[in-house]
Amino acid sequence: MSILKNIAAKALVPVGLTVTGFVIVCSILLYSFVKQDMENDTIRREIQLADIIVKSTRYTMLKDDRESLRHTIQNIGEQEGVEHVRIFNKKGLIMFSAHPEEVNQIVDKESAGCIECHDGSEPATHLGEMEKARHFENNQGKEVLAITAPIYNEPSCFTGSCHVHTPEDKLLGTLDIGLSQEPLNASLNTLRNRLIVFCLMVMVLTVGGVSALLRRNVLMPVKQLVVFAEQLSEGKFDISAPEGTEELENLAKTFRHMARDRHESHQDLDRLQKQLEALSAEIRERESNQHGDKA
Amino acid sequence: MHRHRESAENSDIAPAKTREQGLERIRKLQSLSQRGLWGLAIFLGISMVALPQAEVLPTIPRNVREMLGAAPPTNLISIALVVYSFSALVLILSRIGSGNGSYRGWSHLGYLTAFYAFYYYAEALDSNFWAIFAAGFTILSLEHYHIWTFCREHIHKEKEHLKQLARKEAFFSSTEQK
Repeated sequence: MSILKNIAAKALVPVGLTVTGFVIVCSILLYSFVKQDMENDTIRREIQLADIIVKSTRYTMLKDDRESLRHTIQNIGEQEGVEHVRIFNKKGLIMFSAHPEEVNQIVDKESAGCIECHDGSEPATHLGEMEKARHFENNQGKEVLAITAPIYNEPSCFTGSCHVHTPEDKLLGTLDIGLSQEPLNASLNTLRNRLIVFCLMVMVLTVGGVSALLRRNVLMPVKQLVVFAEQLSEGKFDISAPEGTEELENLAKTFRHMARDRHESHQDLDRLQKQLEALSAEIRERESNQHGDKA
Repeated sequence: MHRHRESAENSDIAPAKTREQGLERIRKLQSLSQRGLWGLAIFLGISMVALPQAEVLPTIPRNVREMLGAAPPTNLISIALVVYSFSALVLILSRIGSGNGSYRGWSHLGYLTAFYAFYYYAEALDSNFWAIFAAGFTILSLEHYHIWTFCREHIHKEKEHLKQLARKEAFFSSTEQK
């Protein structure tokens, strides 16, 4: 039985380990690819949303209608999923915010969201798409993806009668909007759970499939062959050979021939032994008779 | 009987030496069978250092980054990891099938450490650590299983040879006594 267990282990362990391990590696990498793609798509959508807000509030800013702008920002901030939205001027002073307590506070240039442009001696005026985004956890412990969208100076801005902007000013301010990552995280969790289930199914199918095939085609015929050989060794030659693959049937026939030959050899040996004993007895008798005659 | 005594006298030296050689081969095989575990242990140690939560690895300075240049795209590193894992597993299975008793885990330790380094340089180790860990654990476990079963089989054969030798010695010594 230990031999059979050894055959099963030698077939199951390498195959199960290889297939399961490789599927797990591919699933983790696939999850990583999909997560990266989903995060990039989310960033692009949020950048578009930030641009829409900047364009939507452009006229209000041109008309210097601060009250309307304040209400707009507040309404946006009240939307589900919006964690924060604020506009600050180029000096870093928060002018408008969905959280009124933040207004007139100065933002640190070295904080995330600002350092991307203010890292060098000259502040950058353009950022790559992905560089506009930053991930962080807010005070409520929620994961937030925030986008920093610049408000550029345009000809209608520096020719308007409301603000005094010189044409040399490239940037007038920045919109900073943060959206909750909970929907994205929920989708990623669902994806991860599905991949885990997939890996488990592959493992079960591989191990189960190999076990079933092995049991049917190797273990059971070998067990029947062992029983057959034991019965042959006890002298039972009339039992039928086990059926299975061609190799096993040939092996069973060979066992039967060997057992029969061995049995016949034993019988010949017994017969010769008896003849030898009879001859020995006859010789001893003749010798004793000869001694008796001489005496 | 005389021929048996002669061969027994001549094989007085040979069986002892053969037994010693057999025992030495068994010791070497036992030592070889542990190599897989050492490989796994070293890989676990490397992984603990590379674990993002451990924060053991230092930040790469900017001047080093400027010297080394841009990191390869993360997607390419991931594709390379998949191809490497697949080919490594196929090669190990072929060695299992051919009965080759060599242990190649040390080279895999080098490759896996390189993958950790590439992902770390590309700042993508956080999201890809477990992929490298799963690949390394699978490959090194399979290497360990391969070398362990190979050594176990050969140790069994050597022990059978030693038993046969002991039986021969017992037969010759009982013949001598007669």
